[in-house]
Amino acid sequence: MPYRRPQGKYFTSLLAGILMLSLILMTVNARYDKVNLFFESIVVLFVSPAQSFFSSVTDSITDGFGHYFFLVRTSIENERLLLELDRLSKKNNKLLERNKFLERSANLTNFMDEDARPFVVAKVIGYDATQWSKVIFINKGTDHKVEKNLSVVTDAGVVGHVIHASLKSSKVLLITDSRSAVDSLFQESRKSGIVVGTGEDICEMKFVSISAKVSVGDKVVSSGLGGVFRKGLVVGSVVDIVKEGHELFQEIRLATSVDFSNLEEVVVLLSGQEEM
Amino acid sequence: MTHLVLIITLVFLLSMQTTFLRVIFPGNVVPDLILIVAIYSGIHLKRTRGIWLAALMGFLQDCLSGGLLGVNFLSKGLVGLFFCAIKEKIFVQGIIPIGFFVFAASLVDGIIYFALMTSLMGGQAKGNHLLFSIIIFGIFNAVIAPFLFYMFDKGRQFLHRKFPNHVFETI
Repeated sequence: MPYRRPQGKYFTSLLAGILMLSLILMTVNARYDKVNLFFESIVVLFVSPAQSFFSSVTDSITDGFGHYFFLVRTSIENERLLLELDRLSKKNNKLLERNKFLERSANLTNFMDEDARPFVVAKVIGYDATQWSKVIFINKGTDHKVEKNLSVVTDAGVVGHVIHASLKSSKVLLITDSRSAVDSLFQESRKSGIVVGTGEDICEMKFVSISAKVSVGDKVVSSGLGGVFRKGLVVGSVVDIVKEGHELFQEIRLATSVDFSNLEEVVVLLSGQEEM
Repeated sequence: MTHLVLIITLVFLLSMQTTFLRVIFPGNVVPDLILIVAIYSGIHLKRTRGIWLAALMGFLQDCLSGGLLGVNFLSKGLVGLFFCAIKEKIFVQGIIPIGFFVFAASLVDGIIYFALMTSLMGGQAKGNHLLFSIIIFGIFNAVIAPFLFYMFDKGRQFLHRKFPNHVFETI
């Protein structure tokens, strides 16, 4: 039977179908935002092994370039690193002494260690499939007790929070995403505000009153409000302040403490009883 | 067999999009391979198969991104539909025509995405920054598209030679 070219009516019905289906998807997504959608989990389940594979291949290639091709400055770098090692050894010794002192003090005062909370280390296996959102994929999911709304950090500070957890992998919304908001305060002055993402590599701190004293370089930490990030996690430091006389709040831009362009491993802070 | 090759290629492209491209383009703007596939499939798949493939790719992209589910399904589906509807009337061969159409489609894709995200999710888009991002996004896609179209053409020729099929238009 000869093939008949589709007519305008057919294209119109296809257009209507696409509009209808996308509307259904968007409303379902908006309605059931708090639960993991079945097909989303299925797609992530099938694609995450390929992402892990590609991530490993990419790491190997980058590693190969780093170790075999970029050796021009190795000798100078080696000397510098030896000096650095010497300096760090001294610093380490000093810190060990201080650590012992703190341990003894903690025993004496029954100090509750807030860091003693269960956690899981995860590898970054992928990034958002579009450039418009700031999302990463990690290789730990519900199998490893990772669930929605858990905070994700590194030793440098806050990375973001889990927005979707599948069996073997999870999606993490970075603090630089424009939908992210972290209740925070300045480490020194204790003035509070909300750190919001801009969609770029920096964040903004909103709702800081015009009278608050803020300087470039001031550190910002999470306030613990909001229930996702615990108190005292480093968010970033101030890089730019704009004060308009007629405004109620200052415009403050922050450099994040975490370098998102070079993120390899992260720590997911699991929920559960915090240990004494 | 053609379908199997197609599925493997799509998984490969999705994985590339979410891993390798971020290493090559460490900035804020990254080309969208899925959009280029949507345009290519709209033009080069037989009948209306390109529309369905484009919409499916958009849906998969939605599942692998942090945005609202359905946004890319809509934008890629519309792009596929548009190119499928006009494929007999336009000439998309060579660097300049491919670059031009991909650039235009990128602008549409970016605008649809932001229009929906700001209206439905209440996101705050900054006009100048947004426009700049979309234009750079379009340029990146336009630059990379002729190479990808060339590779896809080669793949299509290979498939027709090895496994004659009714999925792709013949070259």
